[in-house]
Parts: sequence; C-alpha cells; structure tokens
Amino acid sequence: MKYLVSLLFSVLLGAGSAWAAPSADDILTASDAIRNPGRAFSVTVTLTEFQAGKQVDTSTLTSYSRNQPNGQFSSLISFVLPARDAGKLMLKNGNDMWFYDPSSKASVRLSPQQRLLGQASNGDVATVNLAKDYKATLVADEDIQDGDRRTRKAHKLALAAISPDVTYASIEMWVDVENNHPLKARFFAESQRLLKTAYYRRYQPQLGATRPTETVIIDGLNPQSVTILRLSDFVARTIPEIWMQRDFLPRFQPE
Amino acid sequence: MQFFRLVLTGVALALMPATAAFAADAELDALALESATETAVPTARSGRDLRFFVEGATGNASQRYQPGSRSIGRVSVDFSLAVTVAPGLRAIVSDRVDYMDPSDPGTDATVNSLREAYVSWQGDGAAGANIVEFGRINLRYGPGYGYNPTDFFRDGSLRTQTTANPFAMRENRLGSVMLRGQHLWSGGSLSLAYSPKLADEPNPDGWNVDLGATNNRNRALLVLGTQFSPTISSQLLAYKEAGRASTLGASATALLSEAATAHLEFTRGSEPDLLSRGLGLPDTSRTRNRFVAGMTYTTLGKLSVTAEYQYNGFALSESDWAALGASPAAQEAYLREAQRSQDLAARQAYLVYVTQKSLGLKDLDLTAFLRVNAVDQSKMAWVELRHHWPSFDLALQVQRHLGEINSEFGILPDSRLIQVLGTYYY
Repeated sequence: MKYLVSLLFSVLLGAGSAWAAPSADDILTASDAIRNPGRAFSVTVTLTEFQAGKQVDTSTLTSYSRNQPNGQFSSLISFVLPARDAGKLMLKNGNDMWFYDPSSKASVRLSPQQRLLGQASNGDVATVNLAKDYKATLVADEDIQDGDRRTRKAHKLALAAISPDVTYASIEMWVDVENNHPLKARFFAESQRLLKTAYYRRYQPQLGATRPTETVIIDGLNPQSVTILRLSDFVARTIPEIWMQRDFLPRFQPE
Repeated sequence: MQFFRLVLTGVALALMPATAAFAADAELDALALESATETAVPTARSGRDLRFFVEGATGNASQRYQPGSRSIGRVSVDFSLAVTVAPGLRAIVSDRVDYMDPSDPGTDATVNSLREAYVSWQGDGAAGANIVEFGRINLRYGPGYGYNPTDFFRDGSLRTQTTANPFAMRENRLGSVMLRGQHLWSGGSLSLAYSPKLADEPNPDGWNVDLGATNNRNRALLVLGTQFSPTISSQLLAYKEAGRASTLGASATALLSEAATAHLEFTRGSEPDLLSRGLGLPDTSRTRNRFVAGMTYTTLGKLSVTAEYQYNGFALSESDWAALGASPAAQEAYLREAQRSQDLAARQAYLVYVTQKSLGLKDLDLTAFLRVNAVDQSKMAWVELRHHWPSFDLALQVQRHLGEINSEFGILPDSRLIQVLGTYYY
C-alpha cells in the first residue's frame, strides 16, 4: 500500500512538473529565437582569429539572412575585407552552397566541408535555427561559466541530428534557465570527436530582443586556435527570395 | 602484453584530468580575448566599389630545345570599378595592363585589356527581377575546372597569357560587347544575350580595345538556369552564331555528400574541326560533342581534390595527331588555334586540381594541377605556394611541360618555368 501511494505520488508529481516545464525542444527553439531575429536582416560580421593568444588574422563580412518557408534561414554572405577577397560571395541555402568570385565570374558549388573563412565554418557565419535540424534532450541543470566569465545556472541540452544534411552529428548546449540565452555549445563529429566549443556573449538589445553579439569559437583539436565572431550593425530589411540562388550572385550589389 | 596495456591505460587515466584541466584553462584564456574593432562596410549608398591591385613577377624559363635559360618578368596593374549612377542603374569598368618581358610573339610589350565597360539596369518586381545590360560584358558559363564547353564567349578573349592556371586565366579575359536581358525568379533565370559583329579581326596593337577579338561575328546565347532540388542545379543553353547551325548545351552540378560535389558540361553542335580552323581550310562543318565531367572531394583538413575528364569531338584523334607530326608548322597552327579559342587540343584529356589551405602555416596555400593529354600522354604540371598578408601576397610558381617533341606539351619551347610573384591589394 505504501509502495502504491508512493508510486502514485511520484507519477502525479512527475506529470505535473512535465506539464509545467517547457520541453527541451521548447528551450532550444527559444534559444534559437534569441540568437536569430525572427525576420530577414543583415549584419556585419567581424572575424578575429587568434593562435596561442596572438591575433593572426581579421576579416569582415556582411551577412544577409532570410527566413525560408521550412523555418530555416538562408544566408548570402558578402566578403568585405581583406581587400583581396572584397566582392566575393558565399550563398548558403540549406546544403545548397555556392562561392562566387566576381574576378573570374565563376560560381562554384561547395560541399559543407569546404571552408572559406579560416577556422570558422561556413555555418558559423550563416544564420541557423538548430531546432529545425536537431532533437533536444534535457540532460541536467548545472552551473557553468558563461562567455563573460560569470557563473550561470543553465539547462544542459543534448542535441541529436534529425536531418541528414547537418554539419555536426551532435551538440551539447547550455541555455540560461532564467531567460533562454544560449551560453555555451560543444559541437561533435559523428565519431564523437569534439570539433569546437562556442561561447555566446556580449548580450545587447538588437532587433527587438537581447541577443549575443559575440561568439568565441575554440577549436576542438587545438584549443589555442580561437576565432571571435562579432556581430554589429543589425538591420531589419526586406530580402527577396531571388537573392538566394546561384544565378543571382553575379547580380548582387551591397545595400 | 597485458602489463603494457595496463600501464598505458593507467597513464591515460592519470593524464585525463590534466588534459581536461588544460582544455578548461585554454577556454578561460580564450574568453579573455577581445575581437578586433569593426570596419565600416561600404554600401551602395556610398556610390562606388573599387578593387585595385598591382602585381610583379620575375623568373626563369629553362628552354627545351636551346641551351641555357631565359629570364621572364611581368608587371600588371588591375582594377575594376562599379559606380551606382541612379537607383538600380550601375556603370562598371574593369581593366588590366600587362607589361611582359619578353613579350609574346607578335604582340606589344605593354598590353591593355579592357575587360568590361557596361551599364546595368535592374528592376525588382513581385514576380522577380529584370536586368538589362549593354556594353562589353564578361559573360561566362560552365562549372568545369579546366575546360568549359558551355563557355561560348571564351574564344579570342585572352590578349595575354600570364598564367597557366585555368581559374586565374578567367580573371584576365575580355568580355564581348553585347545587349543582354535577364529575368530572375525564385529558383531560376532566363537570359538572352546578343553580341554583334563590330570588327573583322583582332588588333594586335597593345592599347587597342580589340573589339575584333571578341566581336568578329554576330552571336546570340539563350540560357535557362534551374534548380532541380537543393542538391542539383542545371543550365540549358542554346548558342547561335552567323553562318553556323545552333549549338545546344547543358551543364549541371550536384552535391554528392558532406564532402563531395560533382559537375558536368555537354555541348553538341556543328562547326569546322579545330585543325580546319587552325589552318584556315574551307568550312567543312561536322556535328560533334564536347563533354566535361568532374568530382571534387574536400577533407576536414582543408584539402580539396578535383578530378576531371575532358572530351572534345572537334580535336584530332590519336592517329590524325600522329600524322600531323610530319608537319610541325601545321601542328603549331593547330595548337595556336586551340590556345586562341581556349579549346581542348586533345580529343580526351584529364585534369587533377588540388588546393590545400593553411599548408603548415595558417596563411600559406598550395594550389597544384596536372593536365594530361590522354592521346599523346604529354603533361603539364603546375604548382603554386602562396602566402597571404593583410594586403600583400607572395607566391612561388613552378610549371613543367613533359612529353615527346611532337606532343601537345612537349612541343612548347620551355620545359620548366619558375617565377616569384608579389601582389599588393589596395
């Protein structure tokens, strides 16, 4: 009898807490909405690369992102600096990826593994809604150090790929329990090898929400290799659907 | 054996906390780093987009059929400027000046290439965008790396040849004067270009705009671009020039996996074969195919390898090429025509193209390719090591020509070229 009461109590308590608490997928969706504005926008991306704490490279891009009907974003990325790369373009529409060089008028199809941006992957500078491609599971709530080196209580989520077209087989993600701010993520290959760790920091009001404006990306194999991705000049804008195709690339002009 | 395994496991376990601590420390160090300050991004509202660089090259060519070697050098100034004249209206000028020492036979030491000079109007509507352009436009099609059958405006477009790298070669070519209209919609585009005859023949004068190189006959090109799926896209092309039947073409690219892409190009048309064109023989048009298929694989270590098969039905067969060996002058005329028209001299050829980013050093890139004439087995090998600084590139290039004396690459007077290049970007 005591056992039955205990079981009933725990089931009711469990059901009650499940009813009240958001699911892991809800948390992931909410954190996507913090990272990505819910509308078309452009943003300036400054990539600063470090080796063993020393700045070794910097480049500037402009990213134009647009929501697609499937809930994912497509992005057109225009290279601004260094001067040798100025005017070059990268298009990412799901796994339909192109590189365009105005000097040679050549549009080259890219595979997701081809990287144009030093240590940062193409997906790092494109806008991506993780909830569309991954199934989340709540692992634990724990204290972690965030990108600004403050201790935060965070939901630890385990993300498993549900789309075959994703760059990372699995992701561990820490999301602030108070406001769903993404704080940290660890990205893994299919072999479970750690590819990179990312910290989201420098939260600022941008396009209607408080969003991270910097991501510190630490290489999984060589933690001395670090890239800081800074976002600035957020602008909400109309971006036509026709921008997100190969044949538009020779037509693009910065706005 | 078991003892060693035990020891190794023990060592690994002992090191694990140290490794984790090291990674945690590295992360803390990384979080102390600060981003570079942002740079103001020029926009259309700023009115103009200028790209400008100067390049110098010096080197040495080992001669195959004469003793000793010869020095080679070049200075190039290259710029392009796009100016927004009014909303939706742009003017584009792109030009390059090359000083070559020694100069190519029959050309001036200083050669100006007015690559592009045109105006472009773009109107956006609910159903897509419409574009109308007029002037000298570099219109290029084809996903092939080393040979582009669907690049119909390629012939005669190079005033000077400053590199053997097919990608770099495309940067120096002349556009053709044309009127071009294009309609873009979500997932595709339709383009029509008409390029009129403006001169009879090329002009070797170094400062001539050389309309005769690109506009020596009336030509038209219709192109339909489509996106079959997120992983397959294609282009269908119909090309017509005065006095010849239409040539039809198609190209496609596909994403095969996370790391692999594929491309192909195909054309079928009726025209004189390459030898008839090289020797100026009476028009004996015949219907033939041109074809390219290739695949690119990229590793996580930033190594990309492309293998490509190339076929030109208008080129000489193995037996015809062997027969032509009896007449070196005819052979030279044949190869010159292939070079002028950027056509494939071999009936069948292979290309392997390799790029390795960050080769040992973060800013050191390797590019290399090997062209193989599958008919006479001659080869061209080209390797470049290029180091980048913020505004300056330094490159070392080595080029080898291998083959019998009567082969495509063996006939070339230089057996090996080595040069150092410096490029400053403004």
